Amino acid sequence: MKPNMDYPGKALIKMKRYELIIIGAGPAGLSAAIEAAAEGMEVIVFDENQKPGGQLFKQIHKFFGSKQHRARERGFKIGEDLLKKAEDYGVEVKLNSTVIGLFDSKTVSVKIADSIEHYSAYNIIVAAGASEKMIPFPGWTLPGVIGAGAAQTMMNIEGVKPGEDVLMVGSGNVGLVVGYQLIQAGSNLKAVIDASEKIGGYGVHAAKLARTGVPFYTSHTLKELKGETEVEKAIITEVDENWQPISGSEKEIKVDTVCLAVGLSPMSKLLEMAGCQMKSEAGDLIPICDQYSKTSLEGIYAAGDVAGIEEASAAMVEGRIAAASILKELSYLDQAEFEARFSAYKASLEELRQGMFGIGEGSWDYPQKSREGYPLAKTLLKKGYLKAEELKKFPGFIDKKSSEVIPIIECTQNIPCDPCQDICPKDCIKVEGDIVTLPELDENFECSACELCVAACPGQALFLVNHNYSNNYSSVSFPYEFFPLPELGSRGKALDRAGKVVGEAEIIKVNQAKINDKTAVLTMKVKDAIVDQARFFKEGDF
Amino acid sequence: MRIKNHPIIKDFKKEELVEFRFDDQVMQGYSGESIAAALKANGVMIHRYTRKKSEPRGVFCAIGRCTDCVMIVDGRANVRTCVEPLQAGMIVETQYGLSRKGANKNEKI
Repeated sequence: MKPNMDYPGKALIKMKRYELIIIGAGPAGLSAAIEAAAEGMEVIVFDENQKPGGQLFKQIHKFFGSKQHRARERGFKIGEDLLKKAEDYGVEVKLNSTVIGLFDSKTVSVKIADSIEHYSAYNIIVAAGASEKMIPFPGWTLPGVIGAGAAQTMMNIEGVKPGEDVLMVGSGNVGLVVGYQLIQAGSNLKAVIDASEKIGGYGVHAAKLARTGVPFYTSHTLKELKGETEVEKAIITEVDENWQPISGSEKEIKVDTVCLAVGLSPMSKLLEMAGCQMKSEAGDLIPICDQYSKTSLEGIYAAGDVAGIEEASAAMVEGRIAAASILKELSYLDQAEFEARFSAYKASLEELRQGMFGIGEGSWDYPQKSREGYPLAKTLLKKGYLKAEELKKFPGFIDKKSSEVIPIIECTQNIPCDPCQDICPKDCIKVEGDIVTLPELDENFECSACELCVAACPGQALFLVNHNYSNNYSSVSFPYEFFPLPELGSRGKALDRAGKVVGEAEIIKVNQAKINDKTAVLTMKVKDAIVDQARFFKEGDF
Repeated sequence: MRIKNHPIIKDFKKEELVEFRFDDQVMQGYSGESIAAALKANGVMIHRYTRKKSEPRGVFCAIGRCTDCVMIVDGRANVRTCVEPLQAGMIVETQYGLSRKGANKNEKI
C-alpha cells in the first residue's frame, strides 16, 4: 500500500483487515506464518527491517537439536527455506514496517515510510524477538566497541571484518559462537572474558575456540578501555566472589575492537502496551503465556524470544504452536488434527528445553554432574577445554588401541543434540533415550572412518583416532572451518585442546565432501605419544 | 577490511561497486550495503561527535536500534548509517552534534 498524501491524516482512517497479523519475520514469525498460510489463512507479517529472517541469516554455524529441529544445518539455510516456504504459501511480508502500537482490540499501528497505517485481525502473534543487553564501563562509547549482533551483521551479512584484534566480553553461547565466527572472518580473537566464574555457554562451543589458542578469563571483567578516538587497549581485572575487582590483578590486552555479548532482552513492549499480564524473568518483562503461546488477552499470542530467550530452533516450534492454536480457534483445524499437531510440537519443544540449559535455568546455575551422574569437567567450565584425564571418565571415550579407527566423542554436557547418532551409517554411536543423553560408543562398534560424524557434530566434538597409522605414528581426524584450509602434505604443529603446541604434525588427508556442508575434515599424522592430546593443526614453523 | 575468503560464505551477494563521498574524500562501496559497512570497509571509525562533550561515536549495534552511528547523508542529519543502504553518489558527512562541522557551539574537534 502506498502512503496516500492527498491530505494529512488520510492514512489514519484506513483500516485493513486480516485473519492473522504477525509482528516479526524472524524464525518464530515466519514459522507461524507458514503454519497458518498452509491452511489457507490470510496472513500478513510486519517487520521493521529491510530484509526478513530476523537473526537467522547471521547464523552461519550448524544448529543443535535433532533432525526434526533441523540440526546440523546452518542458520542461514534454515532462513532461506523459511522464506521460500512463506513465499510459496503466499504469505504477505511487509518490510520496513515498524509496529508502533498494539491494542487489545486486536489492531496494530504500523509506521511505513512517513505514514502510519492501521490493521486489524482476529488474531495477532507477537514474534518481535529480542535486543542486546549492554554494560557500561569507562570507555564503552569509544568507536570500536560493538555488540555481538553488530559483529555478526558486519562479517556475516556485509562481508566486512569487524576488527583485527578483538576482545569478546561474555562467554554465553552468543559470545562463543560470535567469537568463533570472528576467527572465521579472519580476525584475531585475543580473549574471551566473563565476570562469572564459569563459562556460560556450551562447553563444546568454548572448546572450538580454546583449541585454536584463545584464552578464557573467567571471573574477569572490563575495568576500562583506553584510546583517544577509538579503542586501543582493554584493561581487564579479576573479580572476587562478590563481583568486586581484585586490585593488582589488572591485565592489559591490545585490541582495536571490543565485542559485547552480555545477554539478550525480550522486546516485549508491545505486549505490555496492549495490557497483557507480564512477569519478570532475569530482569526483563515477558508475557505470561499458556502452553498454546496465548497471552492473557484473547487473540494475542507471543512466540520466540519475545516470550523468553531461547534458541532459534525453539522459536520456530513456538511459532507453529501459536499458529496451530489460532487455526483451531478459527475452525481451520478440527480438534483431532489440532491435538495431533500440538502434541508433536510440544514434544519437540520439550526435547529442546531439556539439559543443562533448559528453560528457566540461568547460566550460573550449573549442575555439578551430568544427568547420567558423570562429574562435569571443571577445566571445560573454567578454561574452555577438557583435560585428557577428564575426558576419560565419559562414555564417548573408549580406550581400545587395538582397533583401526576409533571415534572419540568429546561431548560431556547434556545438550539437546543427536546428529552423531543420526548420521553414523554403522550405528556405532548411541544417544539413548532422549536427545540430551550423552552420546556413547557401541561396545561392538565397527568404524568405517567415513568421517561423517566429525563434520556433522555441531559442537565439533568428534574426532577419529587411528593408533596404528604407521610405525610410531598415529593419526587424528578433526573438523576444520577456517581459511586457509591446509593442503595435503602441509606440515606444521599439532595443538592440544588448550591450543598449546604438543608436537609436529603433517596433514595426510583433506576431506571436503559436499555432504559435510563446508566443514572440512582434516587428518594429521602425529607421534603416538601425543595422539590423545593433538586436536588442532596450525601450519608452518613457529 | 573486506572479507575476501571465508570458509563458509562463498558469496556476500554484493551489487554494483559505486563511488560516494565521505567528508572531503571519495570512497568506494557497494550499492545496497549499509553506509556503515562501506565506511568500515574504508577504515572509517568515527561517524559523529556528541553534542555536549564532542566525543567520538561509531557503529555500536548495527541494527538501527542505538542511533550511535547517525550521520548527515545527502544533507539529512541523524540518518542511521547502519541500516541506510548506500547509493551511488551519496554525500556522507560526519555529524557534529546535530549538524555539520562548525554549527555546534560545543564543538572541540
